[in-house]
Formats: sequence, C-alpha cells, structure tokens
Amino acid sequence: MRWIRPLSARTDEPVELVGGKAHGLTVLHRLGLPVPAGFVVTTEACRAFRRDGRLPDGLGHELATAVADLEAATGREFGGAQDPLTVSVRSGAAVSMPGMMCTILNLDAARRLERAVAAVFSSWDTPRARTYRELHDIPHDLGTAAIVQAMVFGNRDDHSGTGVAFSRDPNTGANVPFGDVLFGHQGDAVVSGGTPTRPLRELADREPGVWTGLLDALSRAEGHYRDACYVEFTFQSGELWLLQVRPGRFVGAAAVRVATDLVDERVLGRNEALLRVSPHHLRHVRTPRIAMTEEVDILARGLGACPGVAAGRVATTVDSAVRMAAEGPVVLVRPETSPQDMSGLAAATGIVTARGGPASHAAVVARAMGKPAVVGIGDLDVDTTSVRADGRTIGEGTMVTIDGTSGDVALGRPRVVTSAADAHLHRLLEWADEVSGNHTERDEARRLSAAQAVLRRDQR
Amino acid sequence: MTHPDPHLLVLHALRYVGFAGSGRIAAATGLRESDVESELIDLAVAGLVTHLPGDFGGWGLTDTGRVADAERITDELESAGARAAVTKAFDDFLVLNPELLDLCTAWQLRSLDGVTTVNDHSDPAYDARVLDRFAEFHERAVVVCAELSSALPRFGRYRTRLGEALDRANSGALEYVADGTESYHAVWAQLHEDLLATLGIPR
Repeated sequence: MRWIRPLSARTDEPVELVGGKAHGLTVLHRLGLPVPAGFVVTTEACRAFRRDGRLPDGLGHELATAVADLEAATGREFGGAQDPLTVSVRSGAAVSMPGMMCTILNLDAARRLERAVAAVFSSWDTPRARTYRELHDIPHDLGTAAIVQAMVFGNRDDHSGTGVAFSRDPNTGANVPFGDVLFGHQGDAVVSGGTPTRPLRELADREPGVWTGLLDALSRAEGHYRDACYVEFTFQSGELWLLQVRPGRFVGAAAVRVATDLVDERVLGRNEALLRVSPHHLRHVRTPRIAMTEEVDILARGLGACPGVAAGRVATTVDSAVRMAAEGPVVLVRPETSPQDMSGLAAATGIVTARGGPASHAAVVARAMGKPAVVGIGDLDVDTTSVRADGRTIGEGTMVTIDGTSGDVALGRPRVVTSAADAHLHRLLEWADEVSGNHTERDEARRLSAAQAVLRRDQR
Repeated sequence: MTHPDPHLLVLHALRYVGFAGSGRIAAATGLRESDVESELIDLAVAGLVTHLPGDFGGWGLTDTGRVADAERITDELESAGARAAVTKAFDDFLVLNPELLDLCTAWQLRSLDGVTTVNDHSDPAYDARVLDRFAEFHERAVVVCAELSSALPRFGRYRTRLGEALDRANSGALEYVADGTESYHAVWAQLHEDLLATLGIPR
C-alpha cells in the first residue's frame, strides 16, 4: 500500500511518516502489549491532501482493503447489524500539538471513513493550529497522520473505564505509578477535564487484573525508553488496552530525581544522567514548593498554572476577597474567573479555580500578576460561603496553602521548601562538579551546563 | 440603528468590567470621565450601583443593578432585532477564543528544552514572533467586531480598544498584551463577558 501502514510489531517506519502516536503504538506492539487493531494513514497522504485539496487517488481503495483486514482481525463487520466494528480516527503528527487537531470516535459507516480522514487532515490547517506551529517553530508542511483503530469502550459496563498513567510521580519523580482513572467513561472525558477523575491507585482495588497488567505495561515501556514514561489506556469488561505511550518528559526536581534514581537502578550511567537533565530545569529549583510529608492534608489537586506557594484564608467571592484582604492574605477560590473577578484577583495572594486549564482566564491573569495559581480541580464545588472537595466542606476564612507548581491545595500552613535543598539535586551536582573539575560556588544551572559542555566535547 | 444611551453604557460596563474606578469605565465606554462620574452618581441614587471602599474597591453593580442591566440589555438586543446576528458573531468569537488564550500563554510562557519557562521578554525575536501572530489574529478578530457593531453599535468600542492595545504593545508597552486592565487580553475577556451577558448565557 502506498498511503497506509498497518499498526503492528513489524511496522518499522520513521516518525516523520507515521507520526509520534502511531510510532508509540508500534513500540507497544513490539513490547507484546495489548493495542486495539488498526492502521495509520501516513503524513505523506496528508501532504498530498493539502497540496491537491482532496484525498489522493487510490486512498479510497486502500482504506477499503485496510478496513476488510480490520474486520477479519476483529471478527466484526463495519456497519454490521449486530455488535458492529466501530473505529476511532485520531490525528498524530511527528511533533506533539496537544489538543490542536481533531479526533473522531465511534465511527460506524464505511463511507464516512474517508470524510473522517479528510477532517483530521483539514484540522492540521485550522488557524489555531497554524498559530500554534508559528509560535513553536514547527514547519507547516509536516502534516499529520491519521490513526484508524477499532474502538474499545471505557463505558461498556461496570468493569470498564479509562485513564492516563505515568510510571513515576511527575511532581516528585518518586518511583510510584501516578495518574487518573475514570470508571465507566471513554477517554475523551479524562482529557477534557469535564468529569472528575479518581486517583490511579483506586484501580488496584476495583480492577486488580487491569492494575497488574498496567504495572507490567509501565515497566516494559520504561525498559524500552530507559526513562519514566506515560501511557493512555482503556479497559473494557476487565480487559486492558493501551492507546498511547511516550517518554514522561518530566521537568524540574522530578527530572533530577528520575535521572539519579535510574543511575541507582543501573539503567543509566552518571554521565548519561547528567545529559538527561536540562539546565533550564534547574533555573526553577529555587521556586518554593509545599514539602510533601505524611502530615500534609491535601484538600484537592488540580493543575499548577503559575508556580510558587501562597497561603491565605479562603474567599469565594470578589466582595469577600476585597474585604478580607484588609486583614491578611487571601486565596480566592472560584468556579472559574472572568473580568468581573479582577478586583478579587488583584486583592488575592493566590488563586484557585475549579474549571479551566493552563490557558484559562484565571491562569493568564495569575501569571500576569505573578501570583501562584491552581486551576482545573474537577471535583471542586464553590458556593457563596464555602468550598467542597473530596467529600469535605470548608468555610470561607479557612487557612489553605496552594502550590502553583504541583497543583496541590493543602489545608493549614504546611512547611515550604525549595528543591535547591533536595538530596537528589545535591548528588547530581556533585557528579557534575567531578566531571567539570570546577568546585567553586556557582548557581545550579551553571554547574550542570559546565559538566554537559565537557561531556559533549568528549562525545565528539 | 439604536443610539447608545450613556446611562445604559455605564451600567452595563460595570457588568463586564467588574469593580472599577470611573477612569476604567470611561476607557471601556469611550465616554468622558466627568460624564461617567455624573452617570455613576445618578445610578447610585437609583440604587443600581454602589461604591466599595479600599485599595481594591471601586464602583460595582448592586443586586438590583444587575437585574436592571439584564433587563435593559435584553430590551436593547430585541428592539434592535439583533439577537440572530449577535448569536452568530458569538459563535465566531468562540472559534477565536482558544487561539487568543494560546497566544497570551505563549506571551507569558515559553518552552525551552521542553521546560515551560516564564517568558522574561529578554529575547526580542521571540516577542516579535508572538506579536506578529497577535497582528494576524487581530485581522480575524476585527471581522467579528464588525459583525457585532453592525448589529449593535456599542460593540464598536471593542475594535478600537483591541487595536489600541496592540498598537501600544507594538510600540514597546509590553504590558498592553496581557498584563494591564486595558491589555488585549483584558479587553478580549470583557468582550467575552459582554457577549454572555448580552445573550443571557450563564457561565
């Protein structure tokens, strides 16, 4: 076939042709992990589509053949009357463009497949996607691949669900799986953040078979990438399926912890560990963080939107934030923010919202004002005098501390630290000084940069 | 064509701006500050607005004022026969909105070696690239603003304010991108709030 490649252990195509997502799926196949049957329409087809304004000749025929193979592999019929084959059509470029392009789920008529592939290809050229590429130095002519896979249903029954998992904690780097699971839902619900998720650990009790399979998958993926990794998964009637894998891309203290731990686990050598951490990661090691100990009482966790720690009394309306700010620091907690909340945002020392992501109004304003902020706490209910999260209700005036890096909202005033004091960082920087031979006082990023310069020179 | 009524302009500005001083209301409405002040006093006498003291205080709507604004702004919309046109423009606005938020995020944060870092504006080339994207975005935003102002003239003010914010940012006043109360982001967010209020859509 000219425009289509199967997704299988034998597929060995460059990421430029099949895109990052399909490339990851072939890795999963090679690791012997369960992946829904499917195929990928290449970025070359997308480039032809962009050039000619229509799908290339011959693609229709190839799609029909590939669908027939999919029907044979699954034993189900596309558009069939009983238990039909349904497919998802997802975008996947060689570079990550999260949330910019389209995904089509539950497709159930062969005629619509060509239109769905065309829709995915067109979504490469929406103004928003073009702007994103301009900002991130991504060439417009790369194009996206379109991945067609048999659907698995996280909403099938009581033993179905979906989730995302890191092999290690992306906030701290600690070697414990971390993520979110949503019982009884499909994958788009997790990513959209519209439905409250549960901590990944709950999977162990509710679906022990799925949990064991997931731990095995994370361990094999780590073995492949020699790094912390990230997977998206769905389980249908107790059966685990993997939908995506990539390296974890940890930053800051978490990146340092993973690099040093992987040396102890004999996965990496010291020099390789030094090259794994970007000096940019260390520019932020002096950002304050909540010290995570047993005693810290976490009320809720969302997305960190502006780094730093803020402690103050909860205010749930602009009026009370403005009033209470006269007596001491205030943390403004809102369902989301709008221009009407500006005076409350100005009065507050920290900002928390239930809805919204890192580009929401609250996040943009918080960063403009340099105020720690946590957004996107799915299960946070805010009313006029109280806040409810995780089954607990706290009133206005309650002292809370928020961490705009990790997204934690803690009750009271837990201890605050900077990761410059972190033992893992000390070790890494000692290795760096040994390599560079320079033991003078310098900031962390410069100590690492000096070591990397020596290592890169020796590599040449 | 309905002529903007200064009474309603000031009342409604407090709906989408929030607590603010008369200077900000003047900037939002295009009225003179002295005229805004006299309108505010009339509105306060009518119990529709109140003044909150303190560093973060200012003029704001009372509960009665909020109800009165909702009624009058709906009347304005219906008597101009503008609901369909404003609804259509709002749909177009919603297509642009995530892109504007992406642009503001790119202005404030940038990715270096995969690490999201605060943009400290020490790299003029990067800033120029983002401002270029703002300029290109603005051309499409202006189309939506024109749809709105031909339906309801008071919306014409947004085109002026957005254009001014961009001009100032381009001449070096970087706080007019996403920081100040008259920044592109702030004006855009007020337009969002105004559209929701005008169409009676709850957040």
